[in-house]
Amino acid sequence: MIRTEELHSCNGTLKSRSGQKQTENYTLKNGYHKNEKVQKNGNGFHQPRVRGEDSFEEAPMYVAVLTYMGYGIVILFGYFRDFLRAVGLEKCHQAQEREEQKDFVPLYQDFENFYKRNLYMRVRDNWNRPICSLPGPVFDLMERVSDDYNWTFRLTGRTIENVINMGSYNYLGFAENNVDFLKTVAEKTRQYGVGVCSTRQELGNFSIHEELEHLVADFLGVESAMAFGMGFATNSMNIPALVGKGCLILSDELNHTSLILGARLSGATIRVFKHNNMQSLEKLLKEAICSGQPRTHRSWKKILIMVEGIYSMEGSLVRLPEIIALKKKYKAYLYLDEAHSIGAVGPTGRGVTEHFGVDPKEIDVLMGTFTKSFGATGGYIAGKKELVDYLRCHSHSAVYATAMSPPVVEQIIRAIKCIMGVDGTTEGQRRVRQLAENTHYFRSRLKEMGFIIYGNKDSPVIPLLLYQPGKVGAFSRAMLKRKIGVVVVGFPATTITEARARFCVSAAHTRDMLNKVLQSLDELGDYIRVKFSRHRRPYRPELYNVTNFGLDS
Amino acid sequence: MNVGVAHSEVNPNTRVMNSRGIWLAYLLLTTALHVVLLSIPFLSVPVVWTLTNIIHNLAMYLFLHTVKGTPFETPDQGKARLLTHWEQMDYGIQFTASRKFLTISPIVLYILASFYTKYDTTHFLVNTGSLLSVLLPKLPQFHGVRLFGINKY
Repeated sequence: MIRTEELHSCNGTLKSRSGQKQTENYTLKNGYHKNEKVQKNGNGFHQPRVRGEDSFEEAPMYVAVLTYMGYGIVILFGYFRDFLRAVGLEKCHQAQEREEQKDFVPLYQDFENFYKRNLYMRVRDNWNRPICSLPGPVFDLMERVSDDYNWTFRLTGRTIENVINMGSYNYLGFAENNVDFLKTVAEKTRQYGVGVCSTRQELGNFSIHEELEHLVADFLGVESAMAFGMGFATNSMNIPALVGKGCLILSDELNHTSLILGARLSGATIRVFKHNNMQSLEKLLKEAICSGQPRTHRSWKKILIMVEGIYSMEGSLVRLPEIIALKKKYKAYLYLDEAHSIGAVGPTGRGVTEHFGVDPKEIDVLMGTFTKSFGATGGYIAGKKELVDYLRCHSHSAVYATAMSPPVVEQIIRAIKCIMGVDGTTEGQRRVRQLAENTHYFRSRLKEMGFIIYGNKDSPVIPLLLYQPGKVGAFSRAMLKRKIGVVVVGFPATTITEARARFCVSAAHTRDMLNKVLQSLDELGDYIRVKFSRHRRPYRPELYNVTNFGLDS
Repeated sequence: MNVGVAHSEVNPNTRVMNSRGIWLAYLLLTTALHVVLLSIPFLSVPVVWTLTNIIHNLAMYLFLHTVKGTPFETPDQGKARLLTHWEQMDYGIQFTASRKFLTISPIVLYILASFYTKYDTTHFLVNTGSLLSVLLPKLPQFHGVRLFGINKY
């Protein structure tokens, strides 16, 4: 656990501290100079951006009522089907306990499988589709069919080729077979091998890992950074090292499961505020400061606010300037999970700190993953040098998990250099701009068509609300017929009325691909009637041919 | 584990009854049941009201006070396995808006049924017994209590 006195002094007073001086060799190797860095940072923070509002339009009330009736009908059919299986009229495909053990305590609860065998089984062909190519902007799917209503599948041997991929988190398009990237990755594989077989604390710390961490710290504009081999574990294994018993975690309602797991493993008290609701957060902060810990009313040792940059199922952006103001007012810490937003927002792809014009040093713990915009695996935690040095000693991942594989490290290094432009090209910045352009285009066209979509206008995660459970399966199957791969989500992964299709825009999507998807969505939206928005705006009026009108003779 | 979820609930059953429009759907469903029973030609109006009340309370008893656990796996390690849906609602907090609505609605239906049966003795006893079967389990004193071991495991 971090010493509270030291961190309080850091927060309370501005102590000038000389950070770790970068070595001459490293500076020359990457072509970086301090003047350039300071100037770049200065330019970045001068221009705070106007923040677009999140969009969370609600459907009319009858849509919610029809959704509940739809669920009611499928539940009744589920009970009916259970009855048919019980009396032997329908074949039971799943495992059953033996008759000899009927007097023992059952090994599992039968009702816990109700949803899966009666509701999910009939539509499970819409998920977990096997692919047989790189998940770039287009990919190939293996064709599979079912002869028993999705209890089992068989592969036909054919492939569905050139399916447009709207489901992968390939924001900057680095999931690609780039010859230059792969050549360098192959060289590092020959030099270091494919695996490390040890932890970062022991023999698994290579010079390539150090290089990656310096590069990440430079990219983010903070003192130090540490990389981990697994993105999920970056949250779940490092939060227990930061907070513990006697601390308070204020968690957003829609935080990812990795954040929730890390919060639970820490043993700290967890309180949840409404999604992106600053009044709710401030109310909890006030109550925490005034009342202290339960029963003893002593002060909390630490208060940690946990938020995400882009919420992966909602598409909304964090309200970072307001949260930083609250953090300073109530002297709390801020943990910012930029798993989706790093590389995906901001003028040069440096995440929500750049998007809002916020100094990255104001955020106590900057977390991100390499699994989305960088086309790799793993994650990082960045911040002050003392924070990162503390994590090197106490993080569960640093002590027990294997270090990141060297070819993966090289892939990340190549991607970050491409985004920063230090590889001598403007390809990275072109991708960042292309992603923003594709995002704005796709979002505005969907709004024009009358769909209800959630999230911020700058967010490449675009949930399209379908609401009714029957339309989830129909939507996904119809889109696959049109050679478009989408991800659909329903209850219990969402709240019961907010089933949705989640689109992820990529910089590698061409305008033709997006137009094809939009045209299919327009037809399908009318066909299955999912255009519930009441803000329909006909920006593009129909062109009437004057000669079609009859003339009086 | 559901890694990609659009909420942070351990048990989605806690908030289903708080969703937008579910009270309206409940009222419409009860009204539809009543209209269906009214359209059966051999039943008189008092009998229809008593049947509506009995069927409604029977369904409420089954779904809120008999069925235990969740129909899907939850990451709470089986904590909700022995709880009825009523006990899972709103994390077990009493006197929430949903609990008040679901407590008052059978009472309103009972009052309507008593009125339309013209306070006939037989109908009154049947309706009162049916109402108590869904009202007693909803009392805060009966939270988690299993009278005579009914529905304990």
